Amino acid sequence: MQAAVAKTPAKAPPAARKVTFRILRGTLVGDQLTQKNQDFEVPYDDSTTVLGALEWVKGELDGSLTFRRSCRASICGSCGMYINGRSRLACKTKVKDLIYGNEAKNIAAGGEVVVISPQLNQPVLKDLVVDIHPFYEKVEVLKPYVQDGPEKEAHVTKDSFSQVNMVSNCIMCGNCYSDCTAMVENPSFLGPAALAKAYRFVADPREGDKTDRLKALSEDNGVWDCTRCGMCIDACPKGVAPMEAIVKLRALAIEAGNTHVKGAKKSMGLKGEIATWGVVNEPLMMLNALGPIGVLGQLGNALNLMKKGKVPSPLPFEHRPEGLAEVKAIYKELEENPLDVRTRAEDSGPGAG
Amino acid sequence: MGISTGLNYAYYPGCAAKQIQKEADWSARAISKQLGIQLNDMPRATCCGAGNVQEHDLAAGLALNARIFSEAEEMGMDIVTICNTCLQTFTYANHRFQHEPELLADINKVLVKAGVRPYQGTIDVKHLTWVLVDEIGVEKLKSHIKNPLNDLKVAPFYGCHAMRPNEIFQGRGGTVNGPKYLETLIATMGGQSVDYYGKDKCCGFHYMLAHEKEFLSMSGGHSLEAKNAGADVMVSPCTLCDFALGAYQSRSEKALGQKIGLPEMNIAQLVGVAFGLDDKTLGMSRLHQDPTPAFRAHNIRA
Repeated sequence: MQAAVAKTPAKAPPAARKVTFRILRGTLVGDQLTQKNQDFEVPYDDSTTVLGALEWVKGELDGSLTFRRSCRASICGSCGMYINGRSRLACKTKVKDLIYGNEAKNIAAGGEVVVISPQLNQPVLKDLVVDIHPFYEKVEVLKPYVQDGPEKEAHVTKDSFSQVNMVSNCIMCGNCYSDCTAMVENPSFLGPAALAKAYRFVADPREGDKTDRLKALSEDNGVWDCTRCGMCIDACPKGVAPMEAIVKLRALAIEAGNTHVKGAKKSMGLKGEIATWGVVNEPLMMLNALGPIGVLGQLGNALNLMKKGKVPSPLPFEHRPEGLAEVKAIYKELEENPLDVRTRAEDSGPGAG
Repeated sequence: MGISTGLNYAYYPGCAAKQIQKEADWSARAISKQLGIQLNDMPRATCCGAGNVQEHDLAAGLALNARIFSEAEEMGMDIVTICNTCLQTFTYANHRFQHEPELLADINKVLVKAGVRPYQGTIDVKHLTWVLVDEIGVEKLKSHIKNPLNDLKVAPFYGCHAMRPNEIFQGRGGTVNGPKYLETLIATMGGQSVDYYGKDKCCGFHYMLAHEKEFLSMSGGHSLEAKNAGADVMVSPCTLCDFALGAYQSRSEKALGQKIGLPEMNIAQLVGVAFGLDDKTLGMSRLHQDPTPAFRAHNIRA
């Protein structure tokens, strides 16, 4: 049963409002990409989506406008694009919300011009279409399937899927990859979507090679290359929260003994520092993460800070809070009686997992 | 939500403001005093874990946070902080405690065994800028201004951890939708906000140790972009962003092979300048790029 395809009327009804779509068009000639903004006047009403408006432009004004789309229902993940400063699905984003803002949907009021460009962090092929090969290749190298192996568990509880459910909602739209701040500086970074998928397989009791996966994920371009900026959580149209998965992977990677990387050393050091000093011990944190030789490499930075009277003390006694015995007792209690405090996601319906 | 009455808060400056970024703490205290905001010290409060403890041992991180919340609750006050990472770490933990009663009960059992008063889940955690805009208000702030900023062009840098994930901040982050805290403060003081791509992106602080090259390029890139967009100075509400964008700017210049020269300071320092407070109180000599020429050019405290 399929209802007639809802179409934004070609001829605007008398009361219809109009908005300007400022679209970054692009053409690739050889290796050379030429991009230019083009404005279109688009009629809209309360139900018009960005995708509906783009289709109206393509049908009524300029048939050469190129963008990906398919399902119109935030299921296929095709229409991810950069809309008013964030990567969003065109089919899920209402024009009205972009103009007037929608707090519940985390959309700012942008006024009468809707600015659209292709997703970031990926090569542009044409107008709003990017090359999704790098994005997919990074998922592929992670072996996105359950592997046979010695660590496979035969008993699969329903609760174990509380860790898998959330990530299973990923539709590979690439919005998290596009908004990722770490990707800008390091294009080899595996990125939020791939790492969220990796968590899905590490957390699956049926997976046979969890230890090897965690070891590989601890290397360069893996879980420790994330800046923890949270852009991917807000960019995801399906509530996958990739950064949360990355943070969970970090904990599992440390637990599996992958403690040689700087990021892991820094994180592990802080817990002890708090019990001893109560505060971050800046010089000690550096020593933990970088080792003595690495710290020597930081001398330039330290001298720079000292010029402004900013001398980090390795003995921050003056800031030591009262009651640190309580902190030690908390740690002891948790070591003796560990608590599972991971966030859990409900089974999101048929097909999940 | 929240238990503070009047303008009484449990003050949690965070580790950076106690050590390397002291000027942010001095300025926050100085402007709060002028405005009648009581910032009460928390003698028992430890580091929040900064997300680092949480990604290594989440239960320990949550318990550390609950212990700190319990102290504020006993003081009868909400927490006010000037560090984004403390704000996010606390907001995340508090959001979970307030939405997952079983989790709070489990953590409280640990606290009780360690001799700590259990946390009842009643406090709110706020950034000082939220108090300035939401509690004090633009009109009262204006009445304290002695040195208007005379159209000084100010680049706001929000920092990730006062905004994301939106779900835990419930629109209070003042970024994509909520009130525009920094822009509001800048306009109130008579300055002009400069808009640029990096304003709500990442300063790179949390990966500076492990990825120095990428960090310097990231933080320097934002400063350069703001400068090219016409900014005279940059402000941030976060001591860690201050550290990344201000204290490390000369290192970024070396890494980028390009002069940036954009004075960066904590928003509390700029508010302090507008309030007519002196350089010593605001710790202006600790800034790595002197903002005085920019102030002079706009006849601020001429």
